[in-house]
Amino acid sequence: MSLDGAAAERRGTIQSVDRAARILKVLGRGSARLGVTEIAEQLGLAKGTAYGLLRTLEAQGMVEQDPDTDKYRLGPAMLQLGNAFLDNHELRGRSLLWADSLASRVGEAVRVGVLNGSTVLIVHHVFRPDNSVQILEVGASIPWHACAIGRAIVAYLGEAEVEAMLGDSPFEPLTGRTLVDPAALETALIEVATRGVAIEDQETIVGEVEIAAPVFDHRGRPVGSIGVVGPVERLHVEGTSSSLATAVKETARGLSRDMGAGRLAARG
Amino acid sequence: MRGPGLTAGPGRPEGVGHVSDVPPPATPVDAVFVRRWIRDAADEIAANRDYLTQLDAAIGDADHGINMDRGFSAVVTDLAAVDGLAPGAILVRAGSTLVNRVGGASGPLFGSFFHDAGAELGNAAEPDAEALLRALRAGLGAIQRLGAAVEGDKTIVDALAPALAGFEKELRNGGVLSDATGRAASAAREGARDTIPMEARKGRASYLGPRSVGHQDPGATSTALLLGALARAAGRPA
Repeated sequence: MSLDGAAAERRGTIQSVDRAARILKVLGRGSARLGVTEIAEQLGLAKGTAYGLLRTLEAQGMVEQDPDTDKYRLGPAMLQLGNAFLDNHELRGRSLLWADSLASRVGEAVRVGVLNGSTVLIVHHVFRPDNSVQILEVGASIPWHACAIGRAIVAYLGEAEVEAMLGDSPFEPLTGRTLVDPAALETALIEVATRGVAIEDQETIVGEVEIAAPVFDHRGRPVGSIGVVGPVERLHVEGTSSSLATAVKETARGLSRDMGAGRLAARG
Repeated sequence: MRGPGLTAGPGRPEGVGHVSDVPPPATPVDAVFVRRWIRDAADEIAANRDYLTQLDAAIGDADHGINMDRGFSAVVTDLAAVDGLAPGAILVRAGSTLVNRVGGASGPLFGSFFHDAGAELGNAAEPDAEALLRALRAGLGAIQRLGAAVEGDKTIVDALAPALAGFEKELRNGGVLSDATGRAASAAREGARDTIPMEARKGRASYLGPRSVGHQDPGATSTALLLGALARAAGRPA
């Protein structure tokens, strides 16, 4: 991948904006605090160019400079933008109450995700209601093929889209159980469409199971999915209780109606 | 540095351990040894419980130390109640207890490690260092089958794989069990530290993507503790 903006420019985008965006992404990595020289090196920019971009971003509050070390880090405006994204996300907004009530009904964590390329972006996460410390997974990206929320969405895409998704191999295993064979994934997707729920058994994380159902909009398109995720010893898959699957399906249907899906579209 | 004819025992670095001309007797990997390893590992995990949990809080669910401590306490209690088990059977039993008692990914992963290592030892009453190496490799294999992790993914494997490589190298150079386990322990500690700059590609930490950089992996850290306990059981302070 070219590190300067040449490739982006060829596609008719603006080089300086592309560079500024890439500076933000570099600073968004880990606990990154970087000096001008490091940033310039990483992006293959002249130091003066990097400095100008950083000063501009700083004026907008998108980066800030540590007064002691002169190093740059992300600024407070980035948090506002992130929150604005979540606040304006229709599925997330409408899912808040549904997710809470599903979590308390089944006593497990609930996640809501949308498809973003070949990954699922978690836009809402309700902790398992047991007062334990848990990490907030909002913003996490999980390969669609390895998680129930991903398969629940893809199973209801159009035929051509499904074919394209399945053709986008190789699929990386996240655990030893992750389905990575396109034919096996296709079978799994057909099963999802038959049952109305996707079930994933320790394919994302060892020891964790997820059951998810699709959410549809007014056009009957799958806009995302909602799922229950928890330890295999409680949600054991073999006999995944029909009551759990029912709870997930009912929640997804209710959320679909809120999203404007007609009765027919809010199937599953 | 070491070489044949040095005053220290074969394969033993100068100035460390015994200062005698007589090579130390090879520690047998018997039931006493294995029980000492497990008990020491449990103590080590208990002493580091809060530290492990703290590491986990940065990139996981902040329950790693608590889970591991609960699991190893259960293992020690369970093993105290049974006598006459061969080394392999002790490890198999410890593994099963961990799988059953530890939640999250740690139970299945560390449990399968001990279980498969024990199964590899079979019924031998006093397997040698080579057999122990094969057993630990079987344990690593179990972890990789379950987790699909390779070195560099920021997992247990990043401590365990280099540890076993060091173990093997030491044996090939003529080292005895205490040398091999000592080398494995230091390689595991380094391996755990080396996870700090890595971006997690497996487990919940991978959800954080680039934000997982800058934190030491709790599973790799626990692995280093287990191998430190193994080195101590073999008579080499680690």
